[in-house]
Amino acid sequence: MAVIEVNDLVKRYGRLPVVNEVSFSVEQGEIFGILGPNGAGKTTTVECAEGLRRPDSGSIRVLGLDPVRDGRELSHQVGVQLQESLLPENIKVWEALDLYASFYRAPKDWRELLAEWGLADKRQARFGTLSGGQKQRLFIALALVGDPKVAFLDELTTGLDPAARRVTWELIKRIRAAGVTVVLVSHSMDEVEELCDRVAVFDRGRIVALDTPANLISAVDADQHLRFRPLTPFDDAVLTGLPGVVSVTRSGDRVIVAGRGDFAGAVTSALARDHVPVAELRVEQHTLDDAFIALTGRAFDTQER
Amino acid sequence: MAGFSKLAKVESKLLLRDPGAIFSMAIPLFILVIFSGGAGPGDTALPSMSMTIAVGLVGLYMVPTTLATYRERGILRRLSTTPVSPGALLGVQLMLQLVFAVLASAVLVAVSVVIFQAAPPARVVAMATAFLLGTSAIFAVGLLIAATAANGRAANGIGVLLYFPLAFLGGLMQPKEAMPELLAAIGEFTPLGLFRQAVHDAWSGAATQPLLLAIMAVYALVIGLVSARCFRWA
Ligand SMILES: Nc1ncnc2c1ncn2[C@@H]1O[C@H](COP(=O)(O)OP(=O)(O)OP(=O)(O)O)[C@@H](O)[C@H]1O
Ligand SMILES: [Mg+2]
Repeated sequence: MAVIEVNDLVKRYGRLPVVNEVSFSVEQGEIFGILGPNGAGKTTTVECAEGLRRPDSGSIRVLGLDPVRDGRELSHQVGVQLQESLLPENIKVWEALDLYASFYRAPKDWRELLAEWGLADKRQARFGTLSGGQKQRLFIALALVGDPKVAFLDELTTGLDPAARRVTWELIKRIRAAGVTVVLVSHSMDEVEELCDRVAVFDRGRIVALDTPANLISAVDADQHLRFRPLTPFDDAVLTGLPGVVSVTRSGDRVIVAGRGDFAGAVTSALARDHVPVAELRVEQHTLDDAFIALTGRAFDTQER
Repeated sequence: MAGFSKLAKVESKLLLRDPGAIFSMAIPLFILVIFSGGAGPGDTALPSMSMTIAVGLVGLYMVPTTLATYRERGILRRLSTTPVSPGALLGVQLMLQLVFAVLASAVLVAVSVVIFQAAPPARVVAMATAFLLGTSAIFAVGLLIAATAANGRAANGIGVLLYFPLAFLGGLMQPKEAMPELLAAIGEFTPLGLFRQAVHDAWSGAATQPLLLAIMAVYALVIGLVSARCFRWA
């Protein structure tokens, strides 16, 4: 059974729908990504599922409950990290965890969370003195302290340095291994590729694609590029006729072969057969960025705020 | 309920860590110490003024700043995703601020009587009644500021901006007798003026003026209802 079911969700501010007939479902135990540029409606969508905003139309069920009507019951079973939220400046790390733990029927041991999220030595520190990354880790720990079945994490690794991002990703995988369903809002492609079992790609209030990251990438219908530097001269005709090869161009001492499908294998064996040694061979794989451009016709990070 | 008592415990620690708390205690105490030389033994006017200053600072400065900051920082919103409602936090805050106002006032009474030879409160029950009604009226104004201010800093600014004219009209800057007649007359019906007069009546043993108590109750009710109606949680 699906843990979260969203059907034809619409949310308007003024006359403009910022979430427009969005439907998706999240299965038990998966990490479900919600990816999209700024203003795409990601936060609005998850906050409807958290019961923080009222949908204008459509239906949402989380663990079989209606987030607005059954909010109290649901709040025991879901953990939330909001994109924009702080704690009082003067609250100590342990006090915040202890306090939030006291809200739930069956909380986790917050001391373990403290250690797990690398905050043990910040136990007595006041919130206002924490670094951005430490605050972020505290928020994730607070989202998990009620031992939720579903965790909503909005902009999980914003403000974390690359090393802390990696650590956080490993911890999120451990949450999944413990059976928690995770909804991860992100506009970081590598994060989604690394963590998510499935991704809904949002653009301007709609879902433009929903699939595994691997399938989204392989569905990109655009040329891939293979670059190399030949160490002996050769005739382009060796390559142009090969299956999958679209074009062969030269740029200085580089050769760039554009192609589709498994053209790279054909190119390298043709070069080997003709005894053309090459250096600095690179295949440029498609990424989710390419997938996004292919889906929307726009680059991902050139969105206005 | 477990969550509720823990909330009260943590919030009271936060209240005591707030520099505003020290400020709200120190200023009326300071006024008391500075001006008590001019007041004769048995005086109750100056202690009533200092108590009004304390409750005014808590109600017009601490209440709105704390609550508006909680909203601005998304703390109320974050709470509404937990089993504890943000209303509980609001209730706990108002209760703790009330307790704080009571404690500050108790300190002021004790210091006035023990150190500065003020007369002990003549009618304790009447004084408690005046205190509770007046504090409710003043807190209601603070709640209205919290409800409408865009953020913590705005609430702070409005609170301070409102405090000075209200303190002036309420006869906290100079004795009522020294004020222009019209202003003194208006001032009698402002929250701080009502509080000061009603507490002073009870402290000195003058007859209770039911009108003052009634107006404070109306303020508390009407302003309280309005601010509850327009309180924004996010
Ligand atoms: N409370 C609100 N009132 C008015 N407009 C809003 C409100 N909340 C969101 N919007 C608008 O809805 C749109 C979607 O916002 P949302 O926060 O859901 O985007 P997002 O995908 O989470 O973006 P980001 O990546 O920047 O967090 C934006 O254009 C935003 O301005
Ligand atoms: Mg967002």
